[in-house]
Formats: sequence, C-alpha cells, structure tokens
Amino acid sequence: MMAKLKKVNFGIVLFLGIFLWFILAFVIIPNFSIIKSVFFTADGVSTERLKAIVSSQRAVRGIKNSFLLAVTLPITTTVIGILEVLFLEYFEIKGRKLIKVAYMIPLVFGGVMLANGYMFTYGSRGFITTLLLNVFPHMNPAWFRGYGAVLFLMSFACTSTYMIFFRNAFTNIDYQTIEAARGLGETDLKILLKVVFPTLKPILLTCTILLFQTGLMAMAAPLMIGGREFETISPLILTFTQRPSSRTLAAVLSFFLGLMQLVLLYIIQRNERKGNFLSISKVKTTIKRVKIHNKLLNALTHVTAYVFALINTMPLLIVLLFSFTDYQTISSRHLTFKSFSLDNYRLILTSDTAYRPFVTSVFYATAASIIVVLMMLVVTRFIFKNRTKFSTMLEMLIHIPWVFPGLMFALGLVMTYSHPHGIVFNNVLTGSLVIMLIAYVVVLMPNTFRFLKASYYGVDQSLEDAAKILGAKPLYSYIKVVLPIILPTVLAMLAINFNGKLSDYDLSVFLYNPIAKPVGVVIRSNSSSEAGIEGIALNFVYSVLLMAINTLVFFFVYADGKNVLRNLFKSRKMKHES
Amino acid sequence: MITFKNIQIKYDDFVAIPDLTFDVKEGEFFTLLGPSGCGKTTTLRALAGFLKTSHGVITIDDKDITDVPVHERQVGMVFQSYALFPSMSAYENIAFGLKVEKQSKDYIKKRVAELAEMVDLTKEQLAKNVSNMSGGQQQRVAIARALARKPKILVMDEPLSNLDAKLRKSLRKDIRDFQKKYGITMVYVTHDQEEALMLSDRIAVFSKGQIDQIGTPNEIYNHSATEFVCKFIGDANYFSKTDLEKIGLNPSHFGHVNKFYIRPEKVYLSKEKQSLITGRIISKEFYGMYAYYKIEVNGVSFLSFQSESTAGKFEVGDEVSVFINLENILNYADEVQL
Repeated sequence: MMAKLKKVNFGIVLFLGIFLWFILAFVIIPNFSIIKSVFFTADGVSTERLKAIVSSQRAVRGIKNSFLLAVTLPITTTVIGILEVLFLEYFEIKGRKLIKVAYMIPLVFGGVMLANGYMFTYGSRGFITTLLLNVFPHMNPAWFRGYGAVLFLMSFACTSTYMIFFRNAFTNIDYQTIEAARGLGETDLKILLKVVFPTLKPILLTCTILLFQTGLMAMAAPLMIGGREFETISPLILTFTQRPSSRTLAAVLSFFLGLMQLVLLYIIQRNERKGNFLSISKVKTTIKRVKIHNKLLNALTHVTAYVFALINTMPLLIVLLFSFTDYQTISSRHLTFKSFSLDNYRLILTSDTAYRPFVTSVFYATAASIIVVLMMLVVTRFIFKNRTKFSTMLEMLIHIPWVFPGLMFALGLVMTYSHPHGIVFNNVLTGSLVIMLIAYVVVLMPNTFRFLKASYYGVDQSLEDAAKILGAKPLYSYIKVVLPIILPTVLAMLAINFNGKLSDYDLSVFLYNPIAKPVGVVIRSNSSSEAGIEGIALNFVYSVLLMAINTLVFFFVYADGKNVLRNLFKSRKMKHES
Repeated sequence: MITFKNIQIKYDDFVAIPDLTFDVKEGEFFTLLGPSGCGKTTTLRALAGFLKTSHGVITIDDKDITDVPVHERQVGMVFQSYALFPSMSAYENIAFGLKVEKQSKDYIKKRVAELAEMVDLTKEQLAKNVSNMSGGQQQRVAIARALARKPKILVMDEPLSNLDAKLRKSLRKDIRDFQKKYGITMVYVTHDQEEALMLSDRIAVFSKGQIDQIGTPNEIYNHSATEFVCKFIGDANYFSKTDLEKIGLNPSHFGHVNKFYIRPEKVYLSKEKQSLITGRIISKEFYGMYAYYKIEVNGVSFLSFQSESTAGKFEVGDEVSVFINLENILNYADEVQL
C-alpha cells in the first residue's frame, strides 16, 4: 500500500483535479444549463419552450432557411470543389500555378473577413455593383442579397474543405489503376467516373457531411449578406440572446443545432468505420495530368477554371487594393492613380482605437493557443500512458465540445454565468474579460487532443526505454527525448489554434467584453450600413493583416515553411557545433 | 554471471514465461533464439528490468537484481530500432547517459572519444545528427551509447532485423569481432537461425515460453534435442518409419521412435553405382554456388544439398546413388498428448 502511495505524482493529481473542475465548470454545466432551460420551467418538465419555437414564424422560417442552405450547400460546393481539384490535378490547364494560388484563397480569407470582402465587392454600394450601375442604371443595387448570394459566397468559400481533404485523397490515387483502365480501352471520362471517384466515395461523403454542418450552422454570411429575407438559425440565436427575455428561445434553437450535430457525428463515425479504399499497389505512381483533345471542351474547361479563379480572387484583390486608398476613393469607389495612400496602415499603427481590436485578438488567440496546448500536452500524455477507465472517461470529456456546437456552448456560458455561481466561487463571468478566453480554450481542446495524441503514438516506446536504461527520470526523458520529437506537432497546433481564433466571430460575438472587442466583431460592426468610411477602411487593413498572418501560418505548417525553419535551425546548430 | 532461476512472467492473466531457468557465463555471447511470440524478447526485457517477474530470481554476479530498477542493473541495451534520439547528434546520444549521471564535461568528452574509437566512429560522424547516418553507423552509435556507463552486460534485441541482407551479414561479423575483442558478456535476441549459429558461444532455443535446448551452435544444429529445435534451426527432410523402410533403411536401429529427420547436406549423391539406395532426380534448384535436388526413392521424395563442386553435375531425370549415414539421422518420439 505504501509502495503504491509513493508512486502517486501529486503534481499530476493536482493538475488533473484542476482540469476536471475546468471541464465541469466550463464544458458540462453550460451545456447542461441549455438542456435544462429547454425542458424545465419553474413548474418542472415542460414542452412549453419547444411549442414557443414552433409557434414563432420567424424561428420556423430560420430553421427552414438553415435546412435549405444545409441541403443545397453540399451540392454546389461539391460541384465547384471537385471541378477545382480536377482543374488542378487531373486536366492540363494553362496557368495552373496561378489558378492554384487563386483556389487556395478561401483557406486564408474566410469567415467574417470574406463576407466583408464580398459586401464591398458585390453589395449594394460594392465596387462591382457601382461599375454595373454605370452600365445598367436601372438594375437593383441590392442584387447580391438573400439566399442566392449566401449560397454563392459560401459555395466558393467552402471549397477549402475540398482543397484540403479531397485534393489530398485525389493526388494519392495510384495512377497505375488509371493506366490499367486506359490500357483496357476505357475513355478518360469513364475512368474518372468508374475508377477514380469510387475510390474517393468515403472522403466525398465526409466532405458532404461537413458541408451540411457548415450550412446548418452558418453565421457570418447569412448575417451580413442574407439580410432579413434570409435569416438562418445562428444569427437568430444571436438576436434572441441579446434580449434576456428571449434567451430561452435561443437556447431551444441552439439545442436543436446540438441534436443535428449529434446525428452528423454519428453518420461521420459510421462512414469512418466503413473504411477507405486504399491502393493495394506496392509501387504507387503519382497522377499525370491529361490533356483534353476536344478543342471546344478544352476551351470550356479553361474558361470555367479561370472564372472560378476570378471569383475567388476578386473580393481579395479589391480588399487589398482599397486598403491602400484614401477615404474619398473608398467612399466613391472611383479608383485613380492619385487614390493610393498608406494612411489606413498608418492609422492602424498610430490610433489606439484602430489597433486595439487587432492587439486584443492577437492576445486572446495567443493566450488560448498556448493554454490549450500546454494543458493538452499534460492531459494527453497522462491518457496515453495510463489506459484505465478514468483515462477513457477523461478522453470522452475532452471530446464534448465536438458533440455540442460552439453556439450552444457560448450561449450556455452566457446563461450560466450571468449570475454568481458556486462552481466559479460565486463570480459573475458573463461580460468579464476572461470568459472569451475560456471559451476559446474549450473549443480548441478536442482538435488539439487528437493531434497531440497522434504525435505521442508516433514516438517509438523504445526511445523512452533507452532513456530509462540510461538512468533518465521520466520528466527528464520527456523533456529531452519525447518533446523534441513531438515539437513540430506542438508548434503546428499553436499556429493552427492561433489562426483559428484570430478572426473568430461566431463565439466572440456572444462573449466579448466591450472594452476588449476582438477584431472579428469589429469587422462585422464596421461592415454595417451605419459604419463610417473609417470603419470600412480599417476593415480592409484588418483583412489584409489577418490574411498575411494566415498565409504565414499555412506556409509554416503545411507548405515549405517547416523545411525553411528546420534548415535554419540545422545550419545554426552546425555552426555552433563546428 | 547471469542466472535466471524459476522465472515466471505474466501479462495480466496470460503467462508468457511459465518457468525459466538458465545461466550465462562471463564473457559469453549468449543468444536467445526462437520464432515470434516465443518469449525471447520478454526474457531479455525482464533481464534489462523493463518487465516485472511474477516469480523467481534473476542474479548478476550473484547479486539478486529481480527488483532492482532498470538503470541500476548495469545492463546496456541495443534496441531493435536502435532507439537513437532523433533530435540529437551521435555525440549527444552517446553522452546522454553520462549527462544523466552528472559526470563532468571533461570526463564525458574523454569517455565519448574512447567509445568512438572502440566502435570505429570518426569525429565528423560524431557531430552528425543520427537521422543522417547509415544503418551501420547508427548501430555503432547505439552500441557506444549502451556501453557508455560501463555496464556489466550488453543486451541486444534483434539489432539486425531492420537491415538489408548484405549489411546484416557484414554487421554481424562486426558485432562478433567487437565482442571477442573486448570480452563483453552479451545476451542477444534473434529469430534468425543463421545469425544465431554464426554469432553465439551458446544458444537457448525458445518455444512457447520455454527453452527447448541450450547448447553450442554445433550441438543445437547437429544434435537437436527436440523435433521443434531440429525443424527450427535449419532445413531437414522428414521421414516416417514406413518412409525409412521404403528407401531401404532400418528404423528399428533407432529403438522406439517414429519421427526421423536428416539435413539435406547430409544426403550425399553420386552418379556411380556405389550405394544400395538408388533414386532419380525429379527437380533441381540451381543457385550458382550450390544446388538443391529433389530425389525420389521408391515413392519417397526428399532434398539433397550439393555444394559448388557437385552443384552442376546432376540433371533432372538422372539416376543417382544416395548415401545416408544412419548417425546423421535425428530421431524423435511422438509428442505425448496430455
């Protein structure tokens, strides 16, 4: 017994105690309070609030609109996404490198930034709309609004899912299977349909489900482009949350989203269990692009590829261009050579109100990213090393934020901690500076856990055994042997988490403190019709800076940046050693 | 030097090693040989201290080390994957254990240089990151690292299994020469019979968590104690009692046994009619330096290995005289079913 007691690491016990408190206070109780507010009134169990939703025309319309978007978005995005992947990886297209850059834009220019860009490009006072009005003076200036506009924007924005998952799966197809089919006399189109696509069915299904989920929970695009005529659930929840009297309605709607999320997770898991079609070839060859011999079809393919590239590029180019212009040009949308200035960037550097949102977001994103990675490094290690019922339970708790949508959780936090609560030592957290940071940490937990767990699995156990036999204590061998091996994943997680929360709008809008407005919320308020020209100008600069940061992160995490960094370290180390 | 006395090792309820007793002498190259899952690595890990025994005693130099922690056992280990720390240079890998011991910088420098010389690593190679080294160099770093803290015993867990055949051959000679030169007591795990025969002073052949036979390579190969050892250690032709009778040999010569094995290289062939046993060659596998012939004698077929001098002499369809010395026939009784 004494021997067993000696082995207990009190540091770990204390840490796990604090972690369990964190999960209880900021994951379980907020989500539970939503469920409670849906089914319980002062008189006990009741379906009153569900009935209230059914009888609210606005709420029912919101649900219908969300469903419409959730069903149509996967169709349009799948068509565009697959075509874009084919243009990049299957057909020989002239100017492929430029097109590739254009197709990658949604990876770094999304969410509230993108909606803002589209508004300034195609909105009622947008750059393109102004140009069109010069040609067609009688056209409706608010032509880019409602369901069609939201679907159009989101269809192109969501192709990032295809650029990451589908393109990766597509390029991993064994080209020899295509050559074999061609050798058997099959046409290229039929090869695509009969040989290539069937192997990609599982990833296609996963993309479709993710897109259904994105459509259902969409916030920024319906809010900024949809307008009153196309209200969806998420903006409605936001509207209802702003009035304490209608918060229970918001809770019912978010509970509905939670139910949908559960169903979708179940479908994804079933799909994953079916497995994947893997190449059985021992010597895989990479795909070689095919030339389209039919001249008309070739021209049509090229035109479509370029139009898609233009659609992706246009809002970004306009944001970039106008970020370097003066207020007058932004106001008139009339560009001349004299329009260009660096005033907007100067403003960001000098005006406290201008740079504060950016600094706030950088601070929150950095803090959340570091906290979640440090926390998960310890918890994941504990779970990895101790396969017990307790560790299995801990793993399940970490995944709760995946089960419930962020909106439901944010609303739960607002509702639970808007009055003193014992679990947080009778403090009121709603409206405080810390609640948004807590929310960021919670939603980043599952993904960080998954990646770190995978990286721990990648560490050969014999390395730790080797350190042990050489006399190293567990902490020493962790710091000297394990950590350097998983460091690339740790850095990648820091970067990805930082990126994900830097321009966050969906969570922040529920939880921010007015003295520390994050940049996502400011971009949204600056894009409203009441905002002045200075706000629009600042939005351009914010967007450009956020894009630059996103691009840098992508470069270091996914592209060649890792090698650049590694080589830099290596050459420094070699110099040091020599 | 090392003794295992009635050792039992369990994985939860599964008994991997039921009752193991053996000893290793000082300066000996001792190999644990057997197929996958037979318990050889489990035994080695118990010696190193990575596995707890549920019964029995392990001693090194008569000192009970059964419950002594891993790093206090004075056992150095070379892992199957070498387990070199990928973020460190060869120098840092070798110095790791010395730094943990909090040795002075001067001592570490001196000791690493000594070890580098022992395992034939240059200064330039020591500065290299281990992931940029060849398989052979990595193995040397692994050996040097394992020896850095001057262990009494060096244990190796299939250190050649991940290498290609050519490199494997050259490295096993290096290991043997190194062990002989420095007289280190080595316990080596492998599933490769040829490797075990070539390297070892003595071999323990494992089967299902038990040792079937301990002996010198010659004893193991030519006087296999059990049918399993006979079949595992190399190729052997199997004959039943009836088969022996059919080819003209008398099984009663061996007493009450009914399983007979003879190694293909112990089946001699000649074109001249010198033997009472006559057979016909029914197939031939020619490998240049040697050849395998399949011979049929009165409906019983078996293999004969012919080395360079006779490899090209026979063709399919040839009638040949077959010579089998009764002393070369390994014989076993049926296993008693409990």
